Amino acid sequence: MKKILTRYLPLCVLTVSLIAVGACSKKEEAPAAAAKQSLYVVGVESAYAPFSAENEKKEVVGFDIDVMKAIAAKTGIEVKFIPTPFEGFFNFLAQGDRDLLISAITITDERKQTVDFSEPYFEASQLIAVPQSNTTVKQFNDLKNLKIGVQSATTGDEVVQNLVGKNNPSIKRFDSTPLALKELESGGVDAVVADDAVVKNYITNNPSASFRVVSDAGFPKEYYGIAVRKGNTELLAKINQGLADIKADGSFAKINEKYFGNGK
Amino acid sequence: MDFRWSIIQGYAPLFVKGFFMTLQVAVISIIIGTIIGLLLGMLRLADVKHGPWKWPFRLVKGLASFYVAFFRGTPLFVQILLIHFAVMPVLIHQDNGLLISGELARTIKQDYGAFISGIVALSLNAGAYISEIFRAGIQSIDRGQTYAASSLGMGYKLTMRYVVLPQAFRRMLPPLGNEAITLLKDSSLVSAIGLAELAYAARTVAGAYSRYWEPYITISVVYFSMTMVLAMLVGRLEKKYAAPHHR
Repeated sequence: MKKILTRYLPLCVLTVSLIAVGACSKKEEAPAAAAKQSLYVVGVESAYAPFSAENEKKEVVGFDIDVMKAIAAKTGIEVKFIPTPFEGFFNFLAQGDRDLLISAITITDERKQTVDFSEPYFEASQLIAVPQSNTTVKQFNDLKNLKIGVQSATTGDEVVQNLVGKNNPSIKRFDSTPLALKELESGGVDAVVADDAVVKNYITNNPSASFRVVSDAGFPKEYYGIAVRKGNTELLAKINQGLADIKADGSFAKINEKYFGNGK
Repeated sequence: MDFRWSIIQGYAPLFVKGFFMTLQVAVISIIIGTIIGLLLGMLRLADVKHGPWKWPFRLVKGLASFYVAFFRGTPLFVQILLIHFAVMPVLIHQDNGLLISGELARTIKQDYGAFISGIVALSLNAGAYISEIFRAGIQSIDRGQTYAASSLGMGYKLTMRYVVLPQAFRRMLPPLGNEAITLLKDSSLVSAIGLAELAYAARTVAGAYSRYWEPYITISVVYFSMTMVLAMLVGRLEKKYAAPHHR
């Protein structure tokens, strides 16, 4: 034991000092990136159809992508989309790896502490999916004693944590909403709570899944926003202007129509 | 840089449960993996040269070789997803599971689904690597030892049990310890299928607060301590079974 301790002590010291160095050097990067630029890197989660997904040609497509492209065209900026995992999404902004994030991001007070949001561009709410055979679930509260699947780090995860407690083992978190729904299909969970449009999209693409969806008026309405680095007011102003423009000239309504029909 | 350790405190039960889950998954998988590896390693070395069993036996050997090649040749992450989302639903499903169906299947899937899939994936993966460790260990023992044993009138079983395996085991210990440590660390991949182990706890906190230092340092320290203890145990075993002149 003693031998092991003495052998690894230098390693431990090295690790701790590396962490300390890493922690100190982080703050200096932010102002340097503020130089004039016209190409903005946009982070998108690429498994969130119909908002953003990758097609056969490895291009990201979807509602969010079209909205972002329309805004870019209006404001004369160039955008480049990079698929980014939703976990740790906001860190990509903070570290300067991405300039913008769009991916059905719900505007929440917690997230506002780390990033700045544009004006809302989409209204959504959570939706409960249960197997067709389940007839007992009529509202959110009925999920209390059931196993619930969610996509980790999403608002679905958050509302379920609020319902059953954040350390409750009956929450099962998955990397993406489709994986959680797949688990529901195979019987691993009793219900899934996720953004309505994504659940509906899954059902459209998997007619054999035979889910029943339950909406609860108690779910707060959520608004999606485009996120920029905290304090990046110049870019935020451009985005908001573009958003207002495409709403005014009807191109936003067209995109909406394309993805959601006349339902919304 | 401010560290907000309070956010870890709020999720402390998740981390504690996660720790025990990681421990369970790792220990069970190491045990099953070793058994699979031992059987498979011996199988791949043995041969039937004559008689009616010659071809069936070679077929089984071929399958074993394919199994080892498959689990060594594909990423563990992929194997976990494949087993949980593709293989398991076929075997255990409430409507038409091949092995188990009905209400029982539902209960199993909900309470132990990710646990079982995780252990199956990790054990099968470890089994493939461990079978190679056994094979290498046994092959490293000089042929002369076997000849000497047969000249004493010992059969295959006796030779293996008293002459070859004890010597081979000594040589297999370091790579076996290595594999156990690897498996303990790789068990973190099982969080992808929703099993609430250590990495899952960190993921949850990171997701909820967009904070990365606190949760990931926490689990790094825990994983590191676990692997250190494991290394120590293996070290003791090595000492115990060391060849006389190394003592």
